[in-house]
Amino acid sequence: MPPDLIQLLVGGILLGGIYGLAAFGLSITFGVLNVLNLAHGEFLMLGALMGYVLFTAFGLNPFISAMAVIPIFIIAGIGFYFLLLRPISEKPPHQLLVASILVTLGASLIIEDLTAFFWERPVTGIAYSLPPLELAGVVVSSTRFLILMFIFFLAFSLQLYLQKTYVGKSIRGITQCLEGAKVVGIPIVFVSALTFGLGVALAASAGVFYVTLFTVTPIMGIPLSVKYMCIVVLGGLGSLVGSVVGGLILGVAESFTAYFIGAEWSPTIAFILLILILIVKPEGLFGKKE
Amino acid sequence: MLGHCAVMKEEVMKKRPLVLTICLSVILLMGVPMTASGAPEAIHIGATVSQTGHFSSEIGPFKRLMIAWADIVNEQGGIMVKEYNKRLPVKFTVYDDKSDQATAKKYYERLVTVDKVHILLGPYSSPLTFGASTAGENHQVPFIAICANSPKIYTRGFEWIVAVIDIGPRYTYRYWEMVKNQGVAKSVSFVVEDTIHPLGVFKGSQKLSQEAGLTVLSSDVVPAKTRDFTPIITKLKEKNPDIVYVSSNIPFAINFMKQAKEMSLNPREYHCIHHSGVFRDPLGGTAEGVVGQSYWVEGMKLGDTKLITDVLKRADISEPMYPWSPAYVAAFQIVQAAIEKAGTLDNKVLMDNLKGLKLDTVLGEAYFHETGYGSINTYPSQIQDGKYKIIYPPEVATGKHIYPRAVWK
Repeated sequence: MPPDLIQLLVGGILLGGIYGLAAFGLSITFGVLNVLNLAHGEFLMLGALMGYVLFTAFGLNPFISAMAVIPIFIIAGIGFYFLLLRPISEKPPHQLLVASILVTLGASLIIEDLTAFFWERPVTGIAYSLPPLELAGVVVSSTRFLILMFIFFLAFSLQLYLQKTYVGKSIRGITQCLEGAKVVGIPIVFVSALTFGLGVALAASAGVFYVTLFTVTPIMGIPLSVKYMCIVVLGGLGSLVGSVVGGLILGVAESFTAYFIGAEWSPTIAFILLILILIVKPEGLFGKKE
Repeated sequence: MLGHCAVMKEEVMKKRPLVLTICLSVILLMGVPMTASGAPEAIHIGATVSQTGHFSSEIGPFKRLMIAWADIVNEQGGIMVKEYNKRLPVKFTVYDDKSDQATAKKYYERLVTVDKVHILLGPYSSPLTFGASTAGENHQVPFIAICANSPKIYTRGFEWIVAVIDIGPRYTYRYWEMVKNQGVAKSVSFVVEDTIHPLGVFKGSQKLSQEAGLTVLSSDVVPAKTRDFTPIITKLKEKNPDIVYVSSNIPFAINFMKQAKEMSLNPREYHCIHHSGVFRDPLGGTAEGVVGQSYWVEGMKLGDTKLITDVLKRADISEPMYPWSPAYVAAFQIVQAAIEKAGTLDNKVLMDNLKGLKLDTVLGEAYFHETGYGSINTYPSQIQDGKYKIIYPPEVATGKHIYPRAVWK
């Protein structure tokens, strides 16, 4: 394989890893709560701003910050759930879905405007980079590579948590059958709140990596939520593996499209892929048939 | 007696419309804020600022800039208006255009029709100015565009618009002049953000670079929200140009530069058209040696430095973080000079005087071309030891051009 193509492949995978982590949280929230969280990108943005503060004020390494924000945002997510989602959680599934879209979209706009108002720094980013690695003519960003490794570690830990712990099993139980989970005595409200908190925390953790690699502005949340939604649908709604694989596919597809067709086609590829997958496999790559 | 009363009543009834008209006129006149000499209470300036939305990151706190300047002027007694033989204070009405063209257009209509301002200062950016300037034209109110340099704005035959700055295609002409004079760089590759201003600058720069004797090796126009530059950087490595010229807004340039370093792309020079503290801080050492454009930097031998520093200090705005703030200060100077020269707030006289104005501003000499665009332009600057240095022309330079830049290892 020519070095250029390997370079593109590696670049796409590294980018796809970040997509995957952020989409992971969105997927888990949808799988358990049947809630489409349009404020997901806002939590990513808030996580990024917190990562920025931790880096500039305390000199905290982004990899440590990515862990540090998790408990904070789990609490924030639980608060968000009880304040805005719990009141609508008893609605029939399709009504809940619509209501959740409206509620989280409203929350998203509020978070965005409040942040833009109070966060006066024009464009936020942190000056953190590691020397690149060069292997057989292919230059690999070591920062992105380490981030990808961290994401795999996080995904593996989460998988273990879901497989081995009571709460993890409860989350899976609710994903599989809500009525069944109620019958066997799973505390639905507690697990739902915790799951939402977990989803939000994963977005915030991805945000720390985001601010390490890219710039962050208070108004970036909604377009990101839409992109991650594409990834979740691509991978299969509610499938955790699907969201990671969907992220990687999108990252690589964007990279190759920009190189061979033109960079202006790169953002469109997410939607083209989405349409193709929905035609061929309507439930998504790893989704379950209704 | 009764007959006399009836005649009087009849006379009063006949004169009723006249009495009503007089009463209404008195009421209306009382409602208009004018002093005994007929002068308005203040010179009323209208503007919008993108306090929210995507431009808020670039000019969000600029309402403070306007108020700071008004306070300075008012503390000195206001602006002299000969027609009323007195100094009038300055008053601003500012709305948040939310970085949205339709909202900006709506508020400029309101500023003219409801708030009845005497003069309009334009919103930030070409797209917003394009929409907003129709209010000035339709209602014949002088409109001073500030940070809007798309030629499209000035080719509509509008009579009521002038701009502080020069048009976009000439945005970096001094840089290409410097490159030509030095004669060291031989090739250039362009990476362009697909938005109105960067595209305009690119089109002009492509031509100017060829006139400077450089070979254009590649030009990639890329969507504004691009995050992954791997494909572009891979191509640039193959081309190996002397100059990589990034025509974009700041967030795009930061993302590009970060990845260029991650992938060890090492041209002899990087030129990012918009750079500032906002650009430098998130990049740290990666920004070292990058050339860009600045309207003004501290230490520059140009214009009334004290006015810039006073306004910025009072507004609590840092120039490196908000590099367009000096252009706003120049706009304030233009407003003041035009009113003083016109000696009246009459729209037509004010506009005629604006068009014929020539004055030294904080950013150099300001005058207006026939179609309205201005004369003020940027200077090439380079980040050296974390500080901005103007590198050309020599008469205003604060440092020497370092070429080639230090290679990333």
